[in-house]
Amino acid sequence: MSLLEVDDIEVRYGAIRALKGVSFNVEEGEVVALLGANGAGKTTTQKTVSGMMTPALGQIRFDGERIDGVPAHTLIHRGICHVPEGRRVFPRMSVAENLDMGAFRFKRPDLHVLARVFEMFPRLKERETQLAGTLSGGEQQMLAIGRALMGKPRLLLLDEPSMGLAPLIVKQIFDIVREINASGVTVLIVEQNAAQALGLANRGYVLETGEVVLSGSGQELLADDRVRAAYLGEEIATS
Amino acid sequence: MRNSGLFNDHVKRLLGCLAGGVVLALMVGNQEGVQRDFGYAFRAAIFSPRLVVFLGFGLALFVAITYWSRISPYFVRPGARPLAAGAAAVVASYGLLHWTDSNQVTGGKLGALSSAVSGTDGISSFTRTFFGSVVPGTPWLLLVVVVALGVVSLVLRLPVLAWLAAGLGLLVGVWGYIAQSAVSDYLKTADHSTGAQVAILGYAAIASGCFVIARSQTDQADTVGFIERVFGWRPGFPLAVLGTAVGLVALLTATWFSPADRNPHLSGMTNLFSGEGLSAISSAYLSWLVWVIFVVALALAFAATYLSRQAFSWASIVIGLGAVVLTLTTMHEFSSIGGKSGFDGANGPWQNIGAGPWMLCGAFTMFAGAGWIALRQGRRVDPAAPTVVAKAGSNLNQVLIIVVLAGALFYPPTATQFWQTVIVAEIGIYVLLAIGLNVVVGWAGLLDLGFIAFYAIGSYTTAYLTGTLPIKPPDWLHLTPLAAIPFAIVICLLAGLALGAPTLRLRGDYLAIVTLGFGEIIRIVAVNADKVTNGPKGAFGIPQPVIHLGPIHIQWGQSALQFWYLLLVLIGVTVLLFNRLEHSRLGRAWAAIREDEVAAQATGINTTRVKLLAFAIGASTSGVAGVFFASQIGYINPDNFLLNNSILVVAYVVFGGMGSLPGAIAGAATLTWLPEFLKDQVPAEDRQMWIGAVILLMMIFRPAGLIPAKRRAAELSGFDGVKSAETVAVPAGEGM
Repeated sequence: MSLLEVDDIEVRYGAIRALKGVSFNVEEGEVVALLGANGAGKTTTQKTVSGMMTPALGQIRFDGERIDGVPAHTLIHRGICHVPEGRRVFPRMSVAENLDMGAFRFKRPDLHVLARVFEMFPRLKERETQLAGTLSGGEQQMLAIGRALMGKPRLLLLDEPSMGLAPLIVKQIFDIVREINASGVTVLIVEQNAAQALGLANRGYVLETGEVVLSGSGQELLADDRVRAAYLGEEIATS
Repeated sequence: MRNSGLFNDHVKRLLGCLAGGVVLALMVGNQEGVQRDFGYAFRAAIFSPRLVVFLGFGLALFVAITYWSRISPYFVRPGARPLAAGAAAVVASYGLLHWTDSNQVTGGKLGALSSAVSGTDGISSFTRTFFGSVVPGTPWLLLVVVVALGVVSLVLRLPVLAWLAAGLGLLVGVWGYIAQSAVSDYLKTADHSTGAQVAILGYAAIASGCFVIARSQTDQADTVGFIERVFGWRPGFPLAVLGTAVGLVALLTATWFSPADRNPHLSGMTNLFSGEGLSAISSAYLSWLVWVIFVVALALAFAATYLSRQAFSWASIVIGLGAVVLTLTTMHEFSSIGGKSGFDGANGPWQNIGAGPWMLCGAFTMFAGAGWIALRQGRRVDPAAPTVVAKAGSNLNQVLIIVVLAGALFYPPTATQFWQTVIVAEIGIYVLLAIGLNVVVGWAGLLDLGFIAFYAIGSYTTAYLTGTLPIKPPDWLHLTPLAAIPFAIVICLLAGLALGAPTLRLRGDYLAIVTLGFGEIIRIVAVNADKVTNGPKGAFGIPQPVIHLGPIHIQWGQSALQFWYLLLVLIGVTVLLFNRLEHSRLGRAWAAIREDEVAAQATGINTTRVKLLAFAIGASTSGVAGVFFASQIGYINPDNFLLNNSILVVAYVVFGGMGSLPGAIAGAATLTWLPEFLKDQVPAEDRQMWIGAVILLMMIFRPAGLIPAKRRAAELSGFDGVKSAETVAVPAGEGM
């Protein structure tokens, strides 16, 4: 039994069908990447998994139990933590307060986890009392990930962690995601940076206009001509 | 040609500013024309002396805009701002405030008093000279001389001149104060005018500014640091100093018992009441005990703050509070006796008491407060630390709390009837409403323009439960107003949920419009549902509150003062609860939603429920205010609950500082006080303009509000003082 099973879900924004029957699964301990162009439905898929949106059709199962339609604030108690697109730190709260909010589901934050987050992101420790809105983009992304970790996730949903960041910072972030995964957290990551994401992921799914068009292991997808043409910008001789 | 271009710019700006002044002069004043003479209002505005004032404003604006870059370096020098603030206070005192309440002087302002006094022979020449019997306009001349000396010493850095200005300023302030006291003694009226007091405070500010100018050579004033050093030196020390000052004024100069024509100071009290059957303790109190207690309490307060020993702190608290109780019992006794023996129409217990004993109560409260702060700070000292003396953090907040508390408890009894009513019916009620709305607008970030609807619901609930609506409650539910409070809370809570549930998916402007509609619906229902609410006529004869518990029987009557203490309890309880709430889980959840709703959801906050709770809690506070209002005023009708009131409450919260509890209180208190205050000071038709000017100045100089919440301040100052090298833009906030 997979940790997460997404079974033929359809999500609509009014009359527009954003997802037209998406299915995939995530095994415990894996990193799975969702790739696709803008508007392919990656973020919608993630929001549906985290409970911020409800599928019109289809089922989502976590640990074998149905979770489609369960609101986000309930799902977080099952250990599904979401790092939303565009970082979304609380700009006028300090770094420490932001991390504190991440542990909102507990009565009080677990100090071991806090120590672990600070160990992972020493920059955050340095800026503990600084307002989050004053951090650089990379630091904000670290804070967003740290905040999600404070909720002690079993499944971490990362939405475009590399967005708008310098290549060096992107590499750092992906190293940390690898480290998080190594500590036993399952990761479902949405990315446009296919090379980085697939280098990290055990498996990947490629979405196009609300449907899964391709799936396979990270290496397979990296080697796939279509992926290379579409996401890595390589010119491939069309046969 | 290039020069003339620059010249033209300046001329254009000058003409623009002056034209603005003319337009303003036309806008204020009587706008009604006279039949067949449509130019009347125009001529009245142009040929009134007011025009000169407005042209002066225009000129000042021109100078400020054009030369600000040259003025501002001087303005940030140490001492400049106290000097400016003091000068402004003195100008306000001379131009706006009353210097006497006696109806022998028309208007009662400085100008009228000066001309009256200069021509009166029975007043000492010392006093008459101040009011200009020798040189006309002496007070203004003195002010100009003092300020000019101060400014010159600031610009040229001449300590000698600064010392001179400081000394002269103090002398002038004291001279004015003594002169005014002499005049009010001569006129023999109980005086509530504030002109001389504000003037002496203004001169004190000028003097302190000049003192700083004389002592300091730096270019940049460190005001915040200075305040922190003063308040951090010894915990509660400023409070002990203030208590001493207030207490000395009470003991030496203030009136203690004031039926008509009798205004004895403390020294005259023994004489007045000898042989009238005053109990031993009270007569001892009035003759010598009060001095002993005052000196002991003062010494203990200073000992507690300076030495930080727990024993002194406790003693200071006990003696201070005991002294308050003793003063109150003495007051009760001598006012009862005064009433019984009918001294010049004295009217009985708690009546005709002058400001003296109340001020003394305030002073004792401050001594007790100083002890309390010393105790709290003392506990925080690390026993392992080498120093014995407590290193205080900033205890500015605690000092302010004590001062506000002492003022709220002991100032209203000394105010006039008019002000007592204003304090209860305007200031107090709107403070309570603003505290409630602050939860919705400030903490949860939901703009609610229909807040007054819950106030209406609370009021009508009270009317229903006390049986004054056409539709009667069942007998077992016929309640007194105080017993109606829990019901009003519950009903407003439900109303808050009912409004919130369908509308909370809306954000910002949309939510504001729907709540605005809700407010109007409630009002229109109240107008039209004749059979239930008695329509536009409203409910009459809502009874006053009563407490009847065993031996305790309290009946609230017509006196606004009684209601004030009831209201103070309600406000106090609300503030304590909400203060806890702000730092609770719920408070943090509100902060998170206000910051970023999606992120809040992602961290596991049930956003719908938390927003609903904000609505419900805000609404129930408003309901409590409604109960109080209905039972205090006795009759309600739909006109008490207009859209205008909702908007005013929002304005109070914004003015005070959104999301800050002390801010909401200060904002509501200031903006309800100001119009009432201006009533006697400026022509009625100009009043709104003055209020507008105050709000404008506020928005320019303190855009985050009077007492801003930390987070709002950060938002509006654009994250100043940031050390990060790569500051990035912050995602725009939602709605409000």
